[in-house]
Parts: sequence; C-alpha cells; structure tokens
Amino acid sequence: MQKHGIIRLENVSKEYDLGEIKIHALSDINLSICNGDFISIMGPSGSGKTTLLDILSTLLRPSKGKVFIEENDTTEMTDEKLSLFRGKKIGTIFQNFNLQVKLTALENVMTPMWIHKVPKNKRIPLATKLLEQVGLGDRLNNKPNQLSGGQMQRVSIARSLAMNPGIIVADEPTGNLDSKSEKQVIDILMNLNKVQGKTIIMVTHEPELGKLAPKRILMRDGKIQEYFGFEKCPKWIKSNETIKESAKK
Amino acid sequence: MNSELFEVAGKNLRKQGVRTYLTLIGIVIGIAAIVALLSVGQGLNYAIEKQFESLGANTIFIIPGGQNGELELTDADISRMESVRGIESIVPIYSESAFMEFKGQKVQVSVSAADADKAGIFDDTGYFDIKEGRMLVKSDSSAILIGENIAENFFKTEIELKNKVLINGKSFRVVGILKSGSQTVGGGGPSTAGTVFMSQDAFEKIFASRSPGIIFAKTYSPNETVEAADKIKFDLEKKYGEKSVFVSSADALLEQVNAFLQLITIFLTGIAGISLIVGGVGITNAMIASVLERTKEIGLLKALGANKKEILSLFLIEAAFIGAIGGIIGIIIGYSLANLIAFVGESAGFALYASMTPEITLGALLFSMLVGMISGFYPALRAANLDPITALRYE
Repeated sequence: MQKHGIIRLENVSKEYDLGEIKIHALSDINLSICNGDFISIMGPSGSGKTTLLDILSTLLRPSKGKVFIEENDTTEMTDEKLSLFRGKKIGTIFQNFNLQVKLTALENVMTPMWIHKVPKNKRIPLATKLLEQVGLGDRLNNKPNQLSGGQMQRVSIARSLAMNPGIIVADEPTGNLDSKSEKQVIDILMNLNKVQGKTIIMVTHEPELGKLAPKRILMRDGKIQEYFGFEKCPKWIKSNETIKESAKK
Repeated sequence: MNSELFEVAGKNLRKQGVRTYLTLIGIVIGIAAIVALLSVGQGLNYAIEKQFESLGANTIFIIPGGQNGELELTDADISRMESVRGIESIVPIYSESAFMEFKGQKVQVSVSAADADKAGIFDDTGYFDIKEGRMLVKSDSSAILIGENIAENFFKTEIELKNKVLINGKSFRVVGILKSGSQTVGGGGPSTAGTVFMSQDAFEKIFASRSPGIIFAKTYSPNETVEAADKIKFDLEKKYGEKSVFVSSADALLEQVNAFLQLITIFLTGIAGISLIVGGVGITNAMIASVLERTKEIGLLKALGANKKEILSLFLIEAAFIGAIGGIIGIIIGYSLANLIAFVGESAGFALYASMTPEITLGALLFSMLVGMISGFYPALRAANLDPITALRYE
C-alpha cells in the first residue's frame, strides 16, 4: 500500500470558556498522520488526549488552527457537510460502547446505514458480515443487555466499520474490559490496520497497550510532549470526490 | 429529507410503549370532544335544513308578539294577509292548553288546531306522520289526532284508536295516532307526539277565544316570498306597532337559525379545544422527557453522521405521529360519542343526527397532527441543537 498523508493538524488549539475561567485544553498542536498508521495517544488524565481525539474525529471544532482530512479543511465545513463527511470517512469507537439498548446487535450495526441511505437489501448482509468479522456471527439478534462488555465493544467496532471508513478513532476502547476481552479488541483493531489498511487512532492511558502501536504520542498539559515513530508522509492527496458528495447533499 | 426517518420515528414510539399511550390520551380526548360537537352540530343543522326544505322556499312564518308583548291577531288580519299579492294560502295554527280525561284520569295536554282543508301545506314535511288511523278532515268536529306519546305514556291505560276521551269536558273520538319523532312546525318546541290535534271547528267549541300562535303563508312562487313577507310585516306593524310581529321567509329563518347554531358550535368547539391544548402540553412534556432520556442516542446519531435537520425532523415526525394516532382514535371515539348523543336525543323525542363528513374527519386529523408538531417543535429543536460531545457524555 502506498503511503500518503490523511490527517493534518495545523496549530490547533482548544479553549473552553467557563465565564471567568478559560481552560486551555489544547495548545498549538501540529500533527501529520499517514494512511494505514496505527497511532496511540497517551498521557495522564487532563492532558488533553480525549480533546485531541474529539478534534481528530471532527466531533469537536478547534478554537484555533486547521484540521485537514484527506486535504479537506474540515474547520471550514458547515455542520451539515461535516456530519455527512464524518459519517462516511471516520468510524468512532467509544469507551462505554454507546450502543442503543433497545436494538439488537444487527440493528445497532445498521444504524449508520439508514443515516447514510445504504439500500435496504444490502444492510443485513453487510451488518452480518461485519459482526462475523468481529466474531459475533452467533449474536446477531442479541440486545446489549445479553452481551458481555467485550462483545458490546466488538458490536461497537462493527458499527464503526459500517460505512467502510478509512479512519477509525477509538477512545479508551478497552477501558471497561477484562484482560481477555481487551486482547480480543486490540487484536481486531490491529487486524483492521494490517489487513484492511485502516488508519487507527487510539487513546489509552495504559502504557503497555499504547506501546503496541508503531506510532505514539505522549501528551501533557494540552501539548504533545513526545512523538514516537513518526516520519513525514510522502505525499498528500485531496479527495475531491468527497467534497462533491458533501456539496450535493 | 431521509424518508426512513418515518420508519425510525414509528419504531422509536413503539419502543417508548406506555409513555406514548399516555401522551396519546390528551389528544384523543380533545379531538373526540371536538369531533363529537362538530358532528352533532352539523347533524342538527342538517336536520333543521331538511325540515325547512320540506316546507319549501315559498313559505312564510308569521309569529304574533314581540317587544310589545303578546299580540292576538284577528280573523280580519288573516283575511288581509290572504289578499296580499302572491299569497296562495294562509294556515293559522291555534294552540291552547287543556285537560284531557280518559278512564277517570285527568292530564294537562297541549291542543293545536288548523283548518284541515289547508293542512295540505304540511304534506311531505313529516309533521303529521300517521302511525295508526287517518288524518283529520274538515267535517271532523268531534274527532282528534293524538301523539304516540300521549297514547302510550300519559295515562295508566293505553289509548287506542276509536277510544273516547274528554277534552275540557267535551267528548272526542281518537281517529289517528301520530308517530313518535314527528316534529312541531318550525323544528322547535315539543314533538307532535305529545300534542292533541283537532279541527278548527272543534277547537272553537272548547275554547272561548282563539288567536293563532303561528301562521304559515304560502306564495305561488319562491320569487314572490320576500316581497309578500315584507308586505305582511308592513301591514301588521302599521296596525300594531313596530316589532309587534315576527315575519320571516323559510330561507331567511333557516339562515338565522343556522347562524345561531354555528355560533354555538364554534363556542362549544372552542371549549373542547382547551382540552386539546392540554393534550399538546402533554406531548411537549413527553417529548422533552424523551429528549433527555435519549440524549446519548442523539449524540451517537450525530457522531454517526446525522445532521441537525435530520434530528429535528425525527423528533417532529414522532410528535406528528402522536398527534395523528391520537387524532385517528379521537375521531373514532368522537363519532361514536356523537352517535350516542343522537341516539339518546332521538329516544327523548328530539331530532338529533350525528353527521360524518370528510371535512370533519380530514380537518380533525390534520389539526391533531399540527397540534402534535407545534407541541413537539421546542423539544425537537432542543434535540437538534445538542452538541454531540456533550450529548455523548451526558449521564
């Protein structure tokens, strides 16, 4: 697979205005991520790692700076355009899974499909395939309360893959899991990176887990303190097709 | 708009179960009350219209008495009316209260009389719908017609055809019984089922003085009705003073009665509408609770790519569904209620109908959906404006 740049942060800062107090969650962050990277973001509590991940996933807009994804400036996009862009380009995995409790595993995986108008006849086969891929082919019709923590997180991973995004962001994906489930989830993520070439960005506070990623960022006080294993992306490709799709909407 | 939002909204409402049903109740009550009132109101309008129509557009009503108190019209007044241009016939109806005696039991009844030869004016109106026996003829000086109600309920023993009764001490033979539900002329007052009818000659025998309670005039053609009515009014007011008599054509009277009925219907519907407002507040309340409860879900949908418009539409559709379902149930209950009111009214001798029209049905359905959407707008906007990060971390 030919490497190229996929995400670029330029002088990104995030401030929270709480009346008299201003909190600087992120200060002047610069970061380049290539396609197929597996990156872990580590750091102590309050260091800004989750804020950085939220900005990378475009769920949060920076106070200053630019966020380019596939060379599209997401900070200039309207909310509507950004929602569509995010839904198609970025898959999100949450620490607490965020599954819809009244829906089955299959229905949870199909949620992004109705939002993005995937033809109805393609949804069940696709969702089934994704659940089989994470080892839950026999749990299709189970609701979250009938699944273990590890299984719920695997449903969440399958859901993040529903629109076949190139980027997967995971916020403490093993934070609520036992060691056996933790291993299963990490294996799936590594497999997605190695076999399918997905770009994985994972926040974790566990150093051992973080070290499994070839590229690592250590954060402290809203700044990137150290970069491990980073190299320049050989080139940057703009996905014009995405812009056209978004504009059409 | 994503057409699948309708399917998702329907599923969401089903998932909420009891809360959805409880929210529906408010709308159901409001719409049922409105539909029932409109249905009975329109049915009443229709019934009155039908009666006036049967009298014809060339009929004039003359009711003596007005602002200056009671007025006794004389035979000379009636003769003068007959000579008014365009008038074909004049039928005065005389009414008095009298005592009726049967098998030793005495009961007070209302007695009415008209010139039997001219009673043809009432043909096809259903006022004199004979159940048993025959209609009166001019020579019937000791024969009477009685209402079904008098025959069956006024006395311990049921009165049958050919039975003799005393009215103010004079003997009369019952030659006909009128059907229950027959109406008095003009659509108001008690039913003919509770009245005794006799010929004008017989009436003169038992009552010392007589003056008509209402006079019916018929013109040769409907084109002459307004002019003839104006002339009769002019003549009578010239003699007895302004507003001493009420004169109106059937059409004009119908218009007035309908306008009055419409006013009452609007007023009552307005009151019923208050319950719909309460129902609407119920929807707002339930939707706000739903938005709070589903905050994380909203955050998730946004994270997965749903935009503001889609979230707004989703919640608005849910609210509109509550309105529509409540509306449909309310319409069914409303019509059932209207039919029940009509049935009870008819049993009591009043001509009440429940009218089911596409206008009421469609109007009520659209209105209930609109109430749902207006009530759901604020919660929907709140949901649409939620920040995805805050929503996802909401506890």
